[in-house]
Amino acid sequence: MASIAALLASSTKLQNSEDRHEEQYDRQIRDLVASLHRSLSSNALNFAANDPTILDNFDPAADAITYLFLLRLQIQTLQETSPDKLPADLLPSGVLWTKCVHYLKNFNPIQGRYIGHEWRQLVELVAQAAQAASKPFLATQLIKDAMLRMDPSCAVFTSTHLLLVRLCLHAKAYACILPVLNKHICHFPGSTERFPHKSSPVLCADHESSLAFITNSSGLSAPLSSRDISRYFLYGGMVYLALKKWGEASHFLELVMSMPTTGPVSMIMVEAYKKWVLVGLLETGKLRPSPTMVAPHVHKTYQSIARPYVNLAHTFESRDLSRLNAEIDAAKNIWRADNNTGLVFQVLESFTAHALAGIKSVFAALTVTELSEQTSSLPENTDMAESVIASLIMSGSVSATLVHTPGHSEGTMLRFPSAHPSSQLHELQVQGRLARESQTLEALIASVKKSNNDIGLGDEFIDHLQKSQAWNGSGTDYSVAEDETRFEIDEDIMGDQI
Amino acid sequence: MELPPLTKEQISKVILSNAPPSQLFEILSQYESDACLMSAGSGSPETGAGDSEMLCLYYSGFFFAHLLTKQIPEARALTQRMPETLKNHDPSLQNCLTLLRAIWQNEHGQVYQILRGLPWPETLQPLVQRYESFFQDQTLIAVSTSYEAIRPAVAAGYLGLDIQAAEKGDQTIIQKFSDCGWTWNLETQLLYPSPITVPPTDNQPSRGIRETMAMLGNR
Repeated sequence: MASIAALLASSTKLQNSEDRHEEQYDRQIRDLVASLHRSLSSNALNFAANDPTILDNFDPAADAITYLFLLRLQIQTLQETSPDKLPADLLPSGVLWTKCVHYLKNFNPIQGRYIGHEWRQLVELVAQAAQAASKPFLATQLIKDAMLRMDPSCAVFTSTHLLLVRLCLHAKAYACILPVLNKHICHFPGSTERFPHKSSPVLCADHESSLAFITNSSGLSAPLSSRDISRYFLYGGMVYLALKKWGEASHFLELVMSMPTTGPVSMIMVEAYKKWVLVGLLETGKLRPSPTMVAPHVHKTYQSIARPYVNLAHTFESRDLSRLNAEIDAAKNIWRADNNTGLVFQVLESFTAHALAGIKSVFAALTVTELSEQTSSLPENTDMAESVIASLIMSGSVSATLVHTPGHSEGTMLRFPSAHPSSQLHELQVQGRLARESQTLEALIASVKKSNNDIGLGDEFIDHLQKSQAWNGSGTDYSVAEDETRFEIDEDIMGDQI
Repeated sequence: MELPPLTKEQISKVILSNAPPSQLFEILSQYESDACLMSAGSGSPETGAGDSEMLCLYYSGFFFAHLLTKQIPEARALTQRMPETLKNHDPSLQNCLTLLRAIWQNEHGQVYQILRGLPWPETLQPLVQRYESFFQDQTLIAVSTSYEAIRPAVAAGYLGLDIQAAEKGDQTIIQKFSDCGWTWNLETQLLYPSPITVPPTDNQPSRGIRETMAMLGNR
């Protein structure tokens, strides 16, 4: 492949085979990748190493492989000849940056499965370049769209997930990552690598799960550690916190807190616990019981390391504003060191709303003047107190109504409704919620079935079965399969193994 | 689909288009990378005067698109993403920050003052007026469900109407509330709001739930 004509010819050949049989297309792509690797090793592509206009001959939507190989060659050549690792042409607005953007916006995702290493390195380079130019925002939308293009389900965790959430936090582009964060991560790459789908073994085929093409060896993800997973969920939780989505934030932080651990608890887990305590106060006004997935000894460790947070929560629950202020003031260096000052102040701001919720359990109605006497955080001026209460009601933080009475404002009443707020939900809102839950369940059920199957085929489970059969009659039922058919499949495979 | 390039004319066209809020937000969000690329780094003099004017119009317009789609925390994040130099010197972006603070703190009176009293660029006026009307509607809904009975002056304050006139029982103001289904009691001198409930924008038919409820009812 020593000329543009040869590259274009191989590209045409590939496009012609796209509509034919999957296996033929797969073979063509693999041949092209191998051929391009050979050409790179033999310097046969050097004619294209310095001329970005050559890339204009190729369309990433049809020639994702050739385009990326040439683009990377040009990037490498530029980096080798420049004193900087990120020369100006690679930075935003640079010639090669523009080509990278064009590629990531338009690449063919099926072909992209065959060049995972190269694709990921390009994504990482774009992130580095945007950060080097102090414009991380430029990479956020681009990488998010590229991720969703490569794997619309985003159900397999990759190093790009972590890269993107960090970039978004850095760029303060919180809403940008929601399309990825809101998807359920069901798998990690490589967990089923040894058991490819027999029905559709080629990468370019339609796969039920992206796990078929995002594997340890695909290169679409850098090697991952449990620390990366923890960090992703911690950062994801922080994104939700910035958007005041307390429920989602709690869920992400709980995932970090309940990470399995045999040794000491990691600092990331402790950090998640601290934020979780504060979110609990914001959401419910209480120190919530630890999630059941958190082992008791881990919970004790959290409580001991994050003692100021637990104390803050207890003081908050006592509904004593002066003590709460004193507690916040005394530990201000701790909040600052933990980067939680903003959250702690939000907790303080939410005090009145939760105090009113407490009063609701005692009184059905009372005047604003009486309420001001009960709640130290309300202003003494009745009009101002009413204004604060009205804001809380209008924002949905407090479920109550205000009633002006003829005459002076001192007579303004606050009434707490007896009905549960959920009973007032509009039918369409309920339907919307049900539809969302149903979609989530469908997505999860598909992944759970797959995981069940994979676990059933895994070495660990097979060893377990062998042992249980050797014990024969221990009376323990280890069947994880829901139906007998699947159990038979396991038996067959076990026969093969023996 | 390829968008036209980011220019002052294009932004003006989008602002004047009267597109639904979600569409307006969608279009403007697609320009943020271009805007980010055009803006020089913090404190840099590289951003030309023409670009500055266009970028200020873009960021102000996008800010209002956030408000019109009720994305207040995201609007705050946008103000943190705006180029520092522009944010610190441009009057309309400064106005946006003041407005955000008032909305954040639920200072209804201040919101109207900022929208009506501060100098906004002519090109941005359609969005400013649109937001004032939107904010008034949203507040009317909120007040109607938060108060069972309310003095006209307080209600007028929430909706940016003349408080003094309302206090004197101005019939024009009372009529405005009556038009919304509220009841005016001359004897108590109080308005009795009729709660306004807005169904979710999702227009899917609710037949499924009705059928389920009917089925449960038959058991």
